[in-house]
Amino acid sequence: MTRTTSLAALITTALITAPMALAADLTVTVQGIEKPQGTIMLGLFDAATYEDAGSIQGANLKVEGDQVSVTFEGLEPGEYAVKLYHDVNDDGEMDTNPFGMPTEPFAFSNDARGRFGPAKWDAAKFEVSADGTTHTITMN
Amino acid sequence: MDFTRRHFMETGIGLGVAGSVLSAGTAAASPAKTPAWHLGYQNAPINGFEAAEMQLAYGQPPADLNGALFRNGPAQFQYGDQYASHWFDGDGLVHRIAIDDGKAVHKARFVETKKRREELAANAFLAPGFGTLGDERFSVEGPDDVNAANTSVLMINGELHALWEAGSAFAMNADTLETKGPKTWRDDLKGMPFLAHPKVEPDGRIWNLAVGGSRVGIYRISASGTLEDFGLVDIGRAAYIHDWTMSARHLIILVQPWINENLRPPVVAGFEWQPQHGLQMLIVDKDDFTNQRWAQAPARMFFHTGSAWEEADGTLKFDAVLYKRPVLGVGGGADEIRGEWAGRQSAEDGVLTQIVIPTRGDASLIETGLIGEFPQVDPRFRGKARHLTAMVSGPSQIQPGSTGLAVQDWRSGRSDVFDFGDQRMVEEFLFVPKRGGSSDKDAWLVGTVLNLKAGKSEVCVFDAARVSDGPVCIWQADYSWPLGFHGTWA
Repeated sequence: MTRTTSLAALITTALITAPMALAADLTVTVQGIEKPQGTIMLGLFDAATYEDAGSIQGANLKVEGDQVSVTFEGLEPGEYAVKLYHDVNDDGEMDTNPFGMPTEPFAFSNDARGRFGPAKWDAAKFEVSADGTTHTITMN
Repeated sequence: MDFTRRHFMETGIGLGVAGSVLSAGTAAASPAKTPAWHLGYQNAPINGFEAAEMQLAYGQPPADLNGALFRNGPAQFQYGDQYASHWFDGDGLVHRIAIDDGKAVHKARFVETKKRREELAANAFLAPGFGTLGDERFSVEGPDDVNAANTSVLMINGELHALWEAGSAFAMNADTLETKGPKTWRDDLKGMPFLAHPKVEPDGRIWNLAVGGSRVGIYRISASGTLEDFGLVDIGRAAYIHDWTMSARHLIILVQPWINENLRPPVVAGFEWQPQHGLQMLIVDKDDFTNQRWAQAPARMFFHTGSAWEEADGTLKFDAVLYKRPVLGVGGGADEIRGEWAGRQSAEDGVLTQIVIPTRGDASLIETGLIGEFPQVDPRFRGKARHLTAMVSGPSQIQPGSTGLAVQDWRSGRSDVFDFGDQRMVEEFLFVPKRGGSSDKDAWLVGTVLNLKAGKSEVCVFDAARVSDGPVCIWQADYSWPLGFHGTWA
């Protein structure tokens, strides 16, 4: 298991959330990974960042079996969503075919699916509660 | 038309068939209020058709005709009171008619696509498509999510593939017709389109195109199914490309002036007829995709070509069924699916035409006068000079579709035609080489026909050299299946 926290997240959490008991932990498990190699490149988003901004936190999870997990600590309770892809060949990019369609597996929280684009926020968002949340994503 | 023979055949078939009750689990016959031809647009049973021997209804099967006719076509036209909005968007039903020792056994299975699974579960059309807007609830993360796998079939080294044109080929077990899944030729080509009209050289090497707007990918695949090469060319505009052609040395990509710069569903709504561009042809060297030249012909629309060959002086000749303006794709058979038909418009007629591309200057069009569709050539002569093209011909004046089979001899300039009359709707016929023959006149023509009088589907065999003599033999199923598109013989 890889535990990822960012300094920025810690600082933000410390400034905004009081008491600390309201800082929530989110564990995301990705299962059903087809190839036991490469890296799951995972981004965590909130409503403000989901559509077109960078992730608020992220994790690069080495794949050795058919699942990986990560825990984001000290989140402000609320709605979040995950976008991820499996960088099977570890080239740091989401590979596409010559017409621009992804050739590496990808997924969204809630196992949401897109329609001519990424899954929509409303389909991918889930609640992270103050007492901690576990969210499981199954690769297609 | 040979009335005597036709009358004889009707009689022969009438005698050869016991009973008229449809067997359980088959497509229901049209209600009395709908026309007889609507049988061709009825849903197939959900699980397809179990293997069933067809009855020899006429003639004597050729002793050397052993193999299987595989065919594909849309076969889901209705969920409840909801009709499919375009013929091209029905789920693919793959048929195998195995012919051996004078017997014919039919079997068919739907290709198990995401579209098929989800629509069947919902009992509703959901996926966007060529002529379908689709339902917002249906997820689309790549072309194969909307793949109808309904257009043709290709056998490679014993493995069957159901073909569409905007997504992957779907691999299938050639015996059980069970779906294996989308075919990925190379990891970096996952999800690339694979046209439903691959070209197979006489030695088994396969060429095909991937069309994505104005960019076209070229596949070269060995007879054993290994991708040997893939390259990209630019054709300048997003023309509709359903088919193309090939000589021994060149690929000929026809860029018709039916343009769609906005490939959003329903795709057909985005097409514009721009005849000012004419019919342009990009000629690509098979050994060097960067070695290209363009040729130009008057504006025409087309779906299908026969095959090309190259004269000693470099002149390219090929045949295609050409239309003066876009047809079918626009209306999409939506009326026919509902059992309605507005009548035949002569502007809709496709004419078998030879296109001659000189080494310099514009191409010329030589019209044969034969009206029809689904041109086919002998597989031994693909890319080579040959005598014949066979095609469905004889457009009916009283119903959709055609009632005859025609063969054009390019060397004599003559055509040979057999017309079944309005009791039969004729589908694509394929050349099957006779054992020991060396010319494309030494071939059987094998194809399917929907017998409207009997309400049953049939497989017919003709002698390619004597089509006007009528069928050599006819096998009739105990049921009917919907009209389809294309097939292969293996």
